[in-house]
Amino acid sequence: MFAKIGILEAAYYLPPTRKPLSEVFRDEKQDEKPLAANVDFQRDIGIEAVHVAGQEPASSVALKACKRAVEKAQIDPRDIDLIVSFTSIPEDYIAPTWSAAGYVQKELGATRAFATAINTGGCASYQQTLKSVCSLMSINDRFNLALLFAGDKVPALNHNYYPITVVCDGGGAVLLKKNHDRNLILSVEVITAGKLHDVWWVPGFPNRDPEHPEDHTWMHVAGDIKRFNTEVIPINLLMFRKVIRGALQRAGKKPADVKYYVYPTFSSWDQRAFCRAFTIPPDRMFTAGLQRHGHLQETDMVIDYVDARDEGNIHPGDLVMLTTNGAGFSWGAALVQH
Amino acid sequence: MNLTADVAARLGVEQVPICNGQSGSDLAVAASLAALENAAVPGAEVDVVVDYTILPQEWMAPVWNMSGKVQKEIGAEKAFTVGFSGGGATNFLVALNFAAAMLETDEKMKYALLVGADVTIPGNRILNPSSPVSVLGDGASAMVLQRGALGRLVLGTEILSDGANHDVYYIPGGCLANPEDPDLYRMVLDKQRFDAAPKTDTMLQLAKSVLDQAGLKLEDMKYVVYPNISVEDQEAFRIAFDLRRDQICTSNLATHGHMQGNDLVLNYLSLSAGGNLQEGDYILICSHGMGFMAGASLVRI
Repeated sequence: MFAKIGILEAAYYLPPTRKPLSEVFRDEKQDEKPLAANVDFQRDIGIEAVHVAGQEPASSVALKACKRAVEKAQIDPRDIDLIVSFTSIPEDYIAPTWSAAGYVQKELGATRAFATAINTGGCASYQQTLKSVCSLMSINDRFNLALLFAGDKVPALNHNYYPITVVCDGGGAVLLKKNHDRNLILSVEVITAGKLHDVWWVPGFPNRDPEHPEDHTWMHVAGDIKRFNTEVIPINLLMFRKVIRGALQRAGKKPADVKYYVYPTFSSWDQRAFCRAFTIPPDRMFTAGLQRHGHLQETDMVIDYVDARDEGNIHPGDLVMLTTNGAGFSWGAALVQH
Repeated sequence: MNLTADVAARLGVEQVPICNGQSGSDLAVAASLAALENAAVPGAEVDVVVDYTILPQEWMAPVWNMSGKVQKEIGAEKAFTVGFSGGGATNFLVALNFAAAMLETDEKMKYALLVGADVTIPGNRILNPSSPVSVLGDGASAMVLQRGALGRLVLGTEILSDGANHDVYYIPGGCLANPEDPDLYRMVLDKQRFDAAPKTDTMLQLAKSVLDQAGLKLEDMKYVVYPNISVEDQEAFRIAFDLRRDQICTSNLATHGHMQGNDLVLNYLSLSAGGNLQEGDYILICSHGMGFMAGASLVRI
C-alpha cells in the first residue's frame, strides 16, 4: 500500500525536426512480410511523421523534458529528493554502467537528490519505476519529491520497428510529490515473463562487424519475429487483462470505475484491438498521439497522459488507467485518481 | 602496464577470477540458484528479481536485461524483474534499498532475489592503467530478501549521488555518443575527480544518518562491509571510520580484485562464514560508488 503520492506535474519535449513516414520508409527499407489480412504496415499504421533528434544527444532530450516539468511545477530543483531515469533504449553511454540520471541531477542543480535509473521493462519501465519509487517514498521520510524521466533517441535509421510501429525521438518527465492532494497513484501492477526475455534485444558493440565501423546496426533493435507472433501475440491481451485487473483489485476499484485510458501509440490496428478487447469507447482512450508523433517507447505513457489532460479529456475525479506492454516480455498498469 | 612493487602493494590484488566462456547471465543464474538453495526458498516463490550489475551485459541494456533470463531459469514465474544502473558498487545498495521498500509496501510480496553479474571488457582489467586504481575480476552474486524476516534485518539505507561526477566512472564508447572507436569501449576512471571527491566524508555523513535513525553509533558496529577496490582505498576508509583491522573484511581483495557490487555480497558472506556473527550484532555496509554515488546500509543480525 502506497502512501499518498500524486503526480505534481508532467511534461515532455519533442525535437523540432519532423520526418514524414514516407521518408522513414524510403530510408529504412525492411523485409516486410505481409501482416494480417487487410493490414498494410505502411498504409495503415496511422502515423504521419516522427520527430528526430538529429545531432541533439539523448541526454539533452531528457533534460529539456525535465526542465519543462520543473518549470511548470514551479519548484526549486534543490528540493528534489530522488531522480530516476526510466529510459528503455540505449543512451549516450552504455548501461548499466551509466545512466543520464546523474547528468540530469547535475544540470538541474538537484544537489540533495539521489539519482539512479531503472533499466528493465521496455516500454513498461514507467510502471516499474512508479512501483519502485512509490514504494521507496512510502517508507522513507527523506523522499518527498521525485523526478522520473526518460529521454529517447534511436540510432540513425532505426525508426522503423516493423512489424510493430515507427518510433519517435523525445523525452518525458513526471514529478511525484508525497501528500499531494491530486492525481494520486492508487496502485501499480507489473508482470514480466522471463521466458520471453530474448524476443527483443539490441546486439551491442561487442557484436559489431569490425570490418564495417560505419555499420551501426549493432545498436538497432532486433527481434525474433517468429516468436513474437507465436509466443507474445497470443498472450498479449491476457497479460493486459491481468495487470489491469491487478491494479484495480489493489485499489478496490472495478473496470467500470475507469474513466480514461492512456495506452501506447504503436499502430492503429493495435489501438483498435485493445479498445475492442476491453470494450473501451474511442472517446475514453487517447489515440491522437499516434498520428502526431508515433511511438515513443516508455515515454508514450507521459506524453499521451499530458496531452489527454491538457486537451480536456481527463477531469477532476476521473480514474485514469495508464497501461502498456514492453519489449515483448513485460506488462504494466498504473491507476491514477484525478 | 609497469606493475612496480609499489603499485602492487597499493592495489593488493594478487589474482582475479576470469570467465572462461561463461556469460554474465550464466554466472547470475548460478549465483541465484545457490542463494535460493541456501535460503531454502523455491524459485517459484520469488516475487521480484532485482539486478545490480554494473558492467555491460551480453546484450545491450536497457532494451535487454539479464534479470529476465534469471527469472526464466530459476522458475520465478510469478515474479517481475527490475534492474538499476550506475553508481559502481553502490548499485547493490540501491537494489537493496528499493527491494526492501517494495517488500515493505506490498503485502502480496514475500521474497526478493537481488542478483548481479559483472564480466570485465576484454583487456580492461586494470582500472586507469597510467596510475592503477584497481584490478577488475569477473563474478556474480545473489542475495535473498524476505518480508517479515526475524533476523538479518535491513534497518535502513542512505544514498546520495553527486551529479557532477556522473561520468567519473563510465564507458565512453560503444553507444550513441561514440559508436565507432573500439578504443573507447572500455571502463575508464577520471582519477583526478575520483581523488578529489569527498568519498569518506560523504560515507561518514550517510553512515551517521542511517545510524542516527536507529539510535546507534559507529562504535556499535561489529563489522563494516566495504568493496575490494584496493588496499589503499580500504585503508583510507578504515582510518576515516576509525575501525580496527578485524572489523572490515579485506581477505577477498587479494584473491578476487574488484567485482563491483558483488564485492559487498562476497564480503558479507565471508563475515557470515567466519562464525563470529551473533544475533543482535550490527553490520554497516558502505560504498563510495567511485565518487558519484555513496551509500550506507545498516543490518541487524
